[in-house]
Amino acid sequence: MSKKIIEKEISIGPVHPALIEPYRIRFFVNDEIVEDCEININMAYRGIERLLEGLPVEKALLITERICGICSNVHAWNSVRVVESGLKIEVPERANYIRVLINEIQRIASHLIFFGHAFEVIGHETFAYRSFLLREVFMDLMAYIGGNRVMPSVPVIGGIRPRADLTDTLKRVILERVNDFEKKYKEYVDRILADPMVMSRLTGVGYLSKEDAIRYHAVGPTCRASGVNYDVRTLMHEYKPFDFEVIVLTEGDNRARIVQRALEIFECLKIIRQVIKNLPEGPVVNRNWTIREMPFTTAYFEAFRGELMHSYALDSQGLIRNYKVRTPTPTNLAAMEKACIGDHITDAVVTIASCDPCLTCCTRIEVVESGKTKVMSDIEIVRKYGWRR
Amino acid sequence: MEVFLKILIASILAIIISVPYSLILPGIERKIQARIQQRIGPPILTPGLWAVLKFWYKKDVEPVAYLPKFYKSLIIFGIIICIFLFLFSTPYWWQILSWGSVLGLIGMLKLEEFLYVLMGSQSQSFLSTTMPVPDLAKGAKGIGIFREFVEQHSAERAIKMMAVGSLPLYIALIVPFAIAKSGMISDVIKIQNPLYFNSSWFSLPIPSSPIIFTVPGFLSAIVYFIGYVILLNERPFNILKAKVDVIEGGILEYAAKLRAGYYIIRNLMLFILSSIFVTLFIGIPFDPFIPLCMIINIVLSLIMPIALSVFVAFSPIFTFRQIYPTAIGFSAIGAFALIISMI
Repeated sequence: MSKKIIEKEISIGPVHPALIEPYRIRFFVNDEIVEDCEININMAYRGIERLLEGLPVEKALLITERICGICSNVHAWNSVRVVESGLKIEVPERANYIRVLINEIQRIASHLIFFGHAFEVIGHETFAYRSFLLREVFMDLMAYIGGNRVMPSVPVIGGIRPRADLTDTLKRVILERVNDFEKKYKEYVDRILADPMVMSRLTGVGYLSKEDAIRYHAVGPTCRASGVNYDVRTLMHEYKPFDFEVIVLTEGDNRARIVQRALEIFECLKIIRQVIKNLPEGPVVNRNWTIREMPFTTAYFEAFRGELMHSYALDSQGLIRNYKVRTPTPTNLAAMEKACIGDHITDAVVTIASCDPCLTCCTRIEVVESGKTKVMSDIEIVRKYGWRR
Repeated sequence: MEVFLKILIASILAIIISVPYSLILPGIERKIQARIQQRIGPPILTPGLWAVLKFWYKKDVEPVAYLPKFYKSLIIFGIIICIFLFLFSTPYWWQILSWGSVLGLIGMLKLEEFLYVLMGSQSQSFLSTTMPVPDLAKGAKGIGIFREFVEQHSAERAIKMMAVGSLPLYIALIVPFAIAKSGMISDVIKIQNPLYFNSSWFSLPIPSSPIIFTVPGFLSAIVYFIGYVILLNERPFNILKAKVDVIEGGILEYAAKLRAGYYIIRNLMLFILSSIFVTLFIGIPFDPFIPLCMIINIVLSLIMPIALSVFVAFSPIFTFRQIYPTAIGFSAIGAFALIISMI
């Protein structure tokens, strides 16, 4: 068996103008071709799980929503889903609809910020700026509904905040904005797909096969663009009332990952229209619950980048114990490294961007002891290696 | 003595006019791009003039180069090369040796291209290999493999661009000379604008048969434009300073006065290549002693930067997968124009 010859290593980051978050990429290359790749994300450790330890569960929202600025609602919602599922708290139907609405609005905003970043990395500033302009519609909608463009703080235990309830005027505004957006967005997507220069940068580059996507546990749009039909929303009872398609493409390249998200936005619009049309009457929050001891409970959610996991237990005083969050990006990291191989360095950076990494919320430390990998909890890490030691 | 004085005064005038004028061009370029992107964009003078002045007064930072003095001197070489490239295209230098010829122009352009190789091979900023990250910890990949700075990789790319990327510009540059069946710029002007050589200082010699309106001239003008974009390292051909990997390439470590100097080089190239285009393809040279002729040259030389800014606004960065076929394809068009021009 011939051994792969690697000429040199080119490392970029964690301080680099193309990386919107601090991470280190080491490319092992022959001339321009990437033969191997190593992505190291342990650059910004925030200790979110440590902060949550011992907090009353009602206050957890203040922190969980701040895990990520792009998917703030996802973290907030999934964090309350854990306690709702663990303590069997019922959520009113109207509240569920509004939770779905704000989530899909934020999903569109997230996908549009992804386009902005991906096209900036490709070097097409015009498409990037157009994407940011389109995104403004949804940032405004989040502010109208939740009162804040980035952290709308809609879900609470047992429903949503009453201020986020939808009035008839708001419903009309949402529909108008969505219809207007859809026209402009269709033109935008058509222009991207018809641009031969952009397509030449994306097509056939950063290939991730279905087998590799499964083997490396790719999640979210990254796996769905490689032909894996997996979307946690199809398993969630919250999404049962809504009719939408899971967009699955089989090409597995950078183009597929971008097109997958582009098409997914149309499905999000479909869900938003269904929410507005079928919004049931009734209360938006259920206050009839008491916090008590809860065993370790886990909730899975389809965040914008893939599967998100939140899990924790409550002690007898209702304080959080052993909070664990697993965001989609660490799950996608191995797939990213795999997809880079065989492409030019400049394309490899686009490949990483096409998997939409969001890193500040996912830093974990792995400790290798005697050849065996040991995954440690935040508390263990802080105790053993942290500043309190 | 009189000839020498005339050359000296013409050169000084050419430099005094071209340098400040070139500092306005980036502002126009950025403004057009911003409007395309539905932004207001910076004030016209900011990216060119004020940026240079701002950097001129910044605190200097010593580059981490193998030969720091040599690395810093490359900027001065660059400015000198640009100025001489421009002077060779102005009428009073045509009579000195054979500098006002295709060889003089191509020689200077090659030197300018080679600067990027030297800059890249010298610079070694802390933004890549020497960033304090424990890459070589136990269990890490690629221990023992040669680790290259991003600037040095940019130098390798600059060599490739010298070999293939800049071909279209040189082929397109030869076409007017092939049509004139001479290597001298004066002969290229003679076939387009015979009135120029007998005109007085206040007259406006209008070209009678500009090369751009011939089939080979038109084809080579298109190829020249692509070459113009390549030589200026602008999108889609800015692989040697691609922000996504090699950041700024060899120029990464230029700070303060040196950075201002680099901007002067870049802005001068933006104008000079455009002015050479007007001289060779339209037949109106930059003559400081015939003001109307000079003004027309300056005004027409806006065509290239404006076209460039529109082109850049709609282009992604090309990798060598796209650059090679594009450069070869446009070189083929240029070669076709060259063949037609010689028939």
